[in-house]
Formats: sequence, C-alpha cells, structure tokens
Amino acid sequence: MSALLEIRDLHVTHAGRPILDGVDLTLERGEALGLAGESGCGKTTTALALMKLLPGGFKQTGTMTLRPPDVEEPINVERRTEAGMQVVRWRHVSLVFQGAMNSLDPVKRVDTQIAQAIYLHERPKSAKDVGARIGELLTTVGLTPALGRRYAHQLSGGQRQRVMIALALACRPSLVIADEPTTALDVVMQAQILALLEHLREQLGLALILISHDLGVLSETCDRIAVMYAGRIVETGPVREVFAAPQHPYTKRLLDSLPVIGGSREMAAPIPGGPPDPGDLPQGCRFRPRCPYAAEKCLEDPALREVRPAQAAACHFAPWAEWPAAHEAAVEGAAG
Amino acid sequence: MSAALMEARDLSVHFSAHRGVARAVDGVSLEWRRGEILGVVGESGCGKSTLARALLGLVSPTAGAVASDGASVDGKAALRELRRNVQMIFQDPYQTLNPRQRVGTIVAEPLRVQGVARGDHDARVRRAMEDVGLEPGRFLDRYPHELSGGQRQRVAIAAALVLEPDGLICDEPVSMLDVSVRAQILQVLIELRRRRDLALLFITHDLSLAWSLCDRLAVMYLGRIVEHGSAVDVIERPQHPYTQALVAAVPVPSAEARIREPLSGELPDATNVPSGCRFHPRCPRRFEPCDSVDPPLLPAGSDGQLAACLLHDPQVAPDAVA
Repeated sequence: MSALLEIRDLHVTHAGRPILDGVDLTLERGEALGLAGESGCGKTTTALALMKLLPGGFKQTGTMTLRPPDVEEPINVERRTEAGMQVVRWRHVSLVFQGAMNSLDPVKRVDTQIAQAIYLHERPKSAKDVGARIGELLTTVGLTPALGRRYAHQLSGGQRQRVMIALALACRPSLVIADEPTTALDVVMQAQILALLEHLREQLGLALILISHDLGVLSETCDRIAVMYAGRIVETGPVREVFAAPQHPYTKRLLDSLPVIGGSREMAAPIPGGPPDPGDLPQGCRFRPRCPYAAEKCLEDPALREVRPAQAAACHFAPWAEWPAAHEAAVEGAAG
Repeated sequence: MSAALMEARDLSVHFSAHRGVARAVDGVSLEWRRGEILGVVGESGCGKSTLARALLGLVSPTAGAVASDGASVDGKAALRELRRNVQMIFQDPYQTLNPRQRVGTIVAEPLRVQGVARGDHDARVRRAMEDVGLEPGRFLDRYPHELSGGQRQRVAIAAALVLEPDGLICDEPVSMLDVSVRAQILQVLIELRRRRDLALLFITHDLSLAWSLCDRLAVMYLGRIVEHGSAVDVIERPQHPYTQALVAAVPVPSAEARIREPLSGELPDATNVPSGCRFHPRCPRRFEPCDSVDPPLLPAGSDGQLAACLLHDPQVAPDAVA
C-alpha cells in the first residue's frame, strides 16, 4: 500500500527569501504526524502550501501527492488549479485553524455553516439527509445535536473548537490538519480535545497532521514527529524514540527546556538568542549560532539522514552516543 | 515571624452580570510571603486574574480586605504606596506597551508617576534594563514594534522593576511565548528573585511550570482556593479531586505512552455556582453530603497541605480518606 501523502522537496519563498527549504514528508493512512518547532519555523507554511492556501507573494515548488483510499488516481496537488483544489479541500484534506474561536461565522447558526460545507461538495438527496448528518457529526465530536441551533457567541471555547472539528469532518476527508488546535484552551479542555482527536482517528481511520509548539501535546497524540527549524526538518522519527533519545541538538535543548512533573525541578539553561531571519541565514547548519556543540564542520550544510533505525537528523555529529556538557554558544545579542 | 508581603483576608469580588451576580472571587484567604514564589493555578475563568487585580486594588473587593506588611490597604495613600512596592506584568507583551513610546520612555514612566527626582531617572532605567538582559545602548531608543515578543516582555519587566519593588505579580507572563524565549524570560525572573529577593506571585494554567518554579501553590476553582500547600506536594501528591484531575490532564513530553481520562464537562458559570462543594457536579469521587455541604480547607496529605474536600473530614468520610 502506498502512502496517503507524499511531499517531496517543498520550497516556499516570499520576496526571494526562503521560508521553506526542501521539506520532505510522508504520511501513511491513519497515521498521526506531529510538526513541532517554534514560531516562524515553517510549520503553518507547510500546511498552507499543502492546501495551496498561501497568500499572494508566496511562491511554492515541489511535489505533493495525495492518495485517498476512495480515489483511484493519485491527486497531484502541485498541478491542481484553484478550481481543482476546491474539490480537494474539505473533501480529502481539511484544516482546523489556530484560534478556531474566530473562524466561525458569527451571524450564521452552527448547523447552517456545516450544511454549507456539505452542499459545496456534494449533492445530498434531501435536506432531511443533511440534517441527520449534521446531528451525527455533532454527536461524533461530543456535542448534543441541539447545539446546532446556536450561534458561535453562545458556545464556550471548547465547544467552538469541537464545532470546527465537526466542520472539518463534514465531507469525510481522509486527512485532517490541525494547526495548534488546543493552544487557546486550558489543560482540561485541551485534554478533552486531544482525547477526541484520538478517538476520531480510531473510529474513522483518519490521518492527522498535528501542528504544535507544545511537545507534550504531540507526544500524547502522534505516532511520528518532525521537528522544524528555520524552514527545514531537522529531526524526524517515531515520537517515543525522538523523545527518549533526540539526535539533533535543537530537539535536545527544546526537550530540556520543558519541566516534566516528577523529573528535575532544576531549570535547564535556555537556548540563547532566537531563530535566524530567513533573509539572513547563517552559513552551514542553521542552528549553528545557537548550538552549544557547534564546530568548524558545521559551516557545511548537514543533510537530513537516517542516524538510528527510522530516526533521521540533520546534524554532522549524529548519532549522539551521549550529550557532552554544553559549553554555551556565543550568540550576538543574547536577548531573544 | 515577619508579616507577609501581601495578604488576602476572606476576599470576595462579585460582578453584576446579565444573568445575575458573578462570584469571580468568593472568600479567598491567602498569604504571599516576602521573597517567595507563590503560584496560583486553575482553569480559565476560575478567578485567578481577578484575585491578582484585587490585590493591587485594580478592582474593588465586594467583601474582605487586602493587607500589605500586616497593615490593611485603605485609602489612596496606602494604595499608592502598595502600587510602588508591588508591580504587575501581563500575558500579552504586544498589548501592554505603548506603541508610540520608545523603550527608554516606557521604562521611565513609573518613575515619573511616582515623582522620583528626574536626575535619577537615567541611571535607574539603565539598571533595570540590564537586570532583564537588555543592553541599554541597543534598546533605549527602539519602539515596541521593532522588538521580538521576548524582548517586549523584558521591557515590561524592566518597567515593573524600575521602582525596585518587593513583589511582582506575573499574570501568565510566558504563555504566549515560544519554548526557548519562555525559558529565557523565566531565567530572568528566577535570577531577580535570587539576587534581589524579589517575591513573585505567578498566575498560570501551566501546572508543569508552576511545579518547577513555585515554592507554594494555591489551586483555584470557581472563585475559591480548593487546595494549598508546597508546590511539590500539591502537584506530586494532590489531595483534592480537582487538583488530581488537573495534574492528570497535563500532557507530558515523554517516551512513555499514557492513558488518561480527561475531566468531563466545563467550568460552570460564576453566576451559577453549584450548591455544596462547587466541584461536586464534575467530581468523580463525590458522595452523599457533597451537594449540600460547602467544605472548608482541611488538613490533608503532608505537613501544612490543605484541601477543601470532605474526603479529608474524618467525621463525614471516615473510610474514604485519600
């Protein structure tokens, strides 16, 4: 069986500056992939490029092949026109945006909005059918069908996020991309939404790309993880392996900077400085100026290569047998 | 024993809303000691931010009192003195800085408001900026839009520190920042406490952070403190079912898979507080009198740890003690 999604050598530029620089991703049917990294590293750009939703001014190249289980011919996303993409979006891939609270139409009832999504992509037999399906969708995401009569402002944050997920599922896609779906929610609501996503994967065989800067969220929800830095994937592998034995210094330092209850309360030294400006990238490894292990060799660009079974890292020194005591990187203007 | 830096005594803040009276803070007693990092945690809407605002007199309490250094904060002069001695920083460094002022002007503002002699301004602004890791030479003349999120939060902290306060209230100061920037800002705060014995009141919904950073912790639910104790005890050995559920909901970046059952339902509306224990409708361990008896904070678990739960009242629940 071939992969549900294959992205090869995806490049995105804006005003000549590289925003994404050769991203490769593969996603199997029903798999959950986590995209991790800090603001501006290219996580959301990757998702928008896949949906061809990047605003004017951005240019994208590379191939993106989608093979939904219910479609014979593979879909070559990069060759699709805007009209062709409208068939793909929602029907095959849907996107749950960051800050979903504000993505609902404030003057339309919830059921009207879901019905619109369905009518846009299908010719349902009757209005009654649509009504039944809306009720089913709301139940699937853990809401009572009666909530369909409400407006967005009459819902809590968690309920709105559930409605957004119901909308994303309305046309039975095989892949859902969720961009920071729980960032605006607090722990309890976050746990409920994550449990829902997990349940939906099992129940509907849905594949999921979960974008989050919160490594804890990804560790609990995903099978595989890809860590991005300055427009590239710097490490990828099964979630458990990457968290147990990270192979890129950036992943290692990110994990160290998160306190884990029951572990050490001592705060690790933060990563100095901030990510580079895409218009002014450092020579060689992009993490080099902030890396405590940087050496002469790092002036050459490291390729993403397999360093342990199923785990790849873009670091000359990987695999790391152990992490030496870090000498602090000399960063100009340490205030991030 | 010296008096607490600040103290809330049976403090309540009620707002009138469409649907009745919202009991945002509803009978809270809390002591914030000198040099201490005190954490207040809970879900959105539990009243933690309102409590912080009430401590500084930014909202007026409906009942109860606020004390500073053992003396009740009463009248304009006392409030002015309190606001010099205890400062506050907020979650969103994009919205709290005046976009039309330069960094130097922003940091000097509190000095002008409190009427500090002009001649002292420059030296004190520079010192405050150095304390938060901002080179005065590079940043004094910049505008907020020229700064990153982390740098803006540093400016906000510098402005809060320029009067050399004894306490700093931090309302979700890092929840909008990226992991690496967040760690840098926390390091600044920890360093300030170490060097200047600055007391921090840390309001957050991030339990891992509260656990690693705070000395003591208060857990709030619907306007009340439901658990209280050392941060390590409260998070590692929670005694209130609500705290237990909160801790269980924290996603952990670890190599081990974990199964959890999230707490169901949502925080009830503060205009419609349930009878008895306010947590009982969502509580997995509720029993007979929970819907009618409002439990006080009772000794539970380790030394000094308190939980407002009838499971810890030996007369009501002799067999159920956690």
